[in-house]
Amino acid sequence: MRVLSLIFVAMCTALAPAAAAAQDAGELRKQIEQLQKQLDAVTERLRQLESQPRSPTVPAQPAPTPGPGAAAPPPTAAPPSAMDLASPRQPFALYQQRGAGQLLFDIGITGDFVGNLTQRNVEKAQGGTFAGQENRFFPREVELSLFGQIDPYASAVVRIEAGEDTRGEDTGVSLAEASVTLLTLPFGTQAKFGQMRNRFGYSNEVHEHDLAWVDRPNVMRNFFGPNGLVEKGAEVTFVPDLPFYVEALAGIFNGDNETSFGRGALENPLYTGRVRTFLELGDAHGLQLGMSVAAGTNEEKLSTTILGWEARYKYRPDGWLHPLLTLTGEGLYSMRKVSVGVDVDQDGVIDRVEKRSRDHSGWYAAVEVQPFRRWAGGFRYDWSQYPADPGWEWAIEPYVTFWPSEFLRFRLAYKHTDRSPQTREAFNLNGGSARLVDEIFFQGTFIMGAHPAHPF
Amino acid sequence: MRRVIVLLLLAALLASTSSPPAASAADKIRVVATIPDLKALAEEVGGKLVDVEALARGNQNAHELEVRPSLMLKLRRADILLENGLDLDTWADVVVQGANNPNIVRGAPGRVDVSRGIHVLEVPSTRVDRSMGDVHPLGNPHYSLDPGTAPIVTQNIVEAFARFAPDRRAEFERNRQAFLSRLDEAMAKWARTMEPLKGAKVVVYHPQWIYLLTRFGLNQAATLEDRPGIPASPAQVTRVIRQMKDEQIKVLIVEPWNDLKLASRVADEAGAKAVVLASMVGGVKGADTYIAAIDHNVNALAQALR
Repeated sequence: MRVLSLIFVAMCTALAPAAAAAQDAGELRKQIEQLQKQLDAVTERLRQLESQPRSPTVPAQPAPTPGPGAAAPPPTAAPPSAMDLASPRQPFALYQQRGAGQLLFDIGITGDFVGNLTQRNVEKAQGGTFAGQENRFFPREVELSLFGQIDPYASAVVRIEAGEDTRGEDTGVSLAEASVTLLTLPFGTQAKFGQMRNRFGYSNEVHEHDLAWVDRPNVMRNFFGPNGLVEKGAEVTFVPDLPFYVEALAGIFNGDNETSFGRGALENPLYTGRVRTFLELGDAHGLQLGMSVAAGTNEEKLSTTILGWEARYKYRPDGWLHPLLTLTGEGLYSMRKVSVGVDVDQDGVIDRVEKRSRDHSGWYAAVEVQPFRRWAGGFRYDWSQYPADPGWEWAIEPYVTFWPSEFLRFRLAYKHTDRSPQTREAFNLNGGSARLVDEIFFQGTFIMGAHPAHPF
Repeated sequence: MRRVIVLLLLAALLASTSSPPAASAADKIRVVATIPDLKALAEEVGGKLVDVEALARGNQNAHELEVRPSLMLKLRRADILLENGLDLDTWADVVVQGANNPNIVRGAPGRVDVSRGIHVLEVPSTRVDRSMGDVHPLGNPHYSLDPGTAPIVTQNIVEAFARFAPDRRAEFERNRQAFLSRLDEAMAKWARTMEPLKGAKVVVYHPQWIYLLTRFGLNQAATLEDRPGIPASPAQVTRVIRQMKDEQIKVLIVEPWNDLKLASRVADEAGAKAVVLASMVGGVKGADTYIAAIDHNVNALAQALR
């Protein structure tokens, strides 16, 4: 009996821990189940949060950053969620989602839409600022820009442009620019080759959507055509090591520009040059001055030389996000050789052809005031002759600009153009007249994706 | 004679293209930093061995710098360009392009992104687009406002300087350690100052303070900007005032370059204070060094929160 009691006690003693362990296991199971529920709840909450757009006003709760002397933690990147993977990929996302380790250039798209209203007789004569597009709303320039490094020595930019040039026709697509810049040449030089907007003066290099006005200044359109001077060739810039900024440029191009040159061959190339400097008048004031030259051969196989002068001043009070006052001015002087038939004996028959020089010029001056971040207003005054034709015109264009954000802009402008009587032949067409032109412009411009910072 | 000229030209060409040029004892390394914070840190590390300039000024918005040719002039002779990175100073590419200096083009040894190794905050975890404002796809770039990132940034600067003057590495490292010791002392003081205020909520004008707030345990409750870089709409202003009142938020942090008038009006209506902090070294009076700038920010915040 004692033996049985001892065995019973021994068994109880032996089983007690097992029972306790079983009890612990039960507790643990309960805790695990509870944790599982919590984890499920957190996962569900996370899923809900990730399915919503990220609110910029609610910051993420980041891990604490290390104190001084602490080792650098490895950079972390959150893996894409199921929603990320499921959401459709747009081309825009190529730019935005580039990250460390991805080899990709920058991509941007700009859209520039212009509407204009003018008199019926101006529309008939097709003598408005946007010739052939009078009283129309049209896509002037929708541009796809791709830019980035080619290798450690060169960068490239490619811009493909679509726009409606002529009323009622399909929107045409063209190569606006494609150029390579060699960045690592010695002695402060850089070279660029390809198709480019020439650095002739201030405004020629600026694309339509980036201009401070709805339209390109009259003098630039009259002497270089509606798109300005865009050429294929190469140019070299030199920035000497001086205490002040000077940039010298020399280029050689085909001379495709039909308005002033037009030979389009390297046998009779277009040579370009520019010198610009910058005067920093304290932190708030800046003045850029420059002089340009373009010398080539026109369609008559005679020489044309155009000289240009530019000045641009900005007053940006200290700490302001935008300039308060911007003054811009450019002037052009064209020396164009032309063939002129001379009737020596006044018998109505040309006796000989003489080469003469037609020296014509033009200029514009513009003022812009931007008292608020979103609003700016200003005006531009134009006076210009024509490269070969007689006569002249002047115009004044007040405007107001509104930016809802950095990437969206609206502009409203009025333009009055007055042309001299000698222009009658050129502008009184199709039974209409464009000697006096009044126009109202509306412009809407957007930028999507990458857009490089604008130079001064 | 012609051969001599050709040889001289070749020698000049080789001399100008060899990189990186080792700095002699007499030569200082010419350093340009995109923002004043990096200039201040580079001066601490480089000491008398470097000449440092900054492209942006302390009271400017480093996101949108006006690209002046005078900035290109600063880069014309630079050996090293220190960039903040994380898409804050992308305008530097345009400045570099106009400087005609092969030492600092992308990929050159003189082009240094000092954000390497930083624990970046607010890296978007979902697809981002500009409906969210001017968001930074690579994360919040204002890490230099957290003194805790200085060890990593200065380490990157030491590596960059040592590439140009390998024989001076020890001196750069000594300078760095001396600076970090001073920073450690200051950090202990700042931690003591901010300890009682941990968990306090603040509103910021532009979301650039998360590194500083995280360092000292403060919470960013809202931004006055509608979304990053988008000016505050009247509805947003009303919303923020209501939130500040409801949650008894005492402080609205404003950058020196932002609209102080609006910030003051919002703070007044919410019964709070608008506090101008140095968004970069030199942003406010007295914040002329890195430690002085952080010191100003911590003291101004603590005073306003008490």
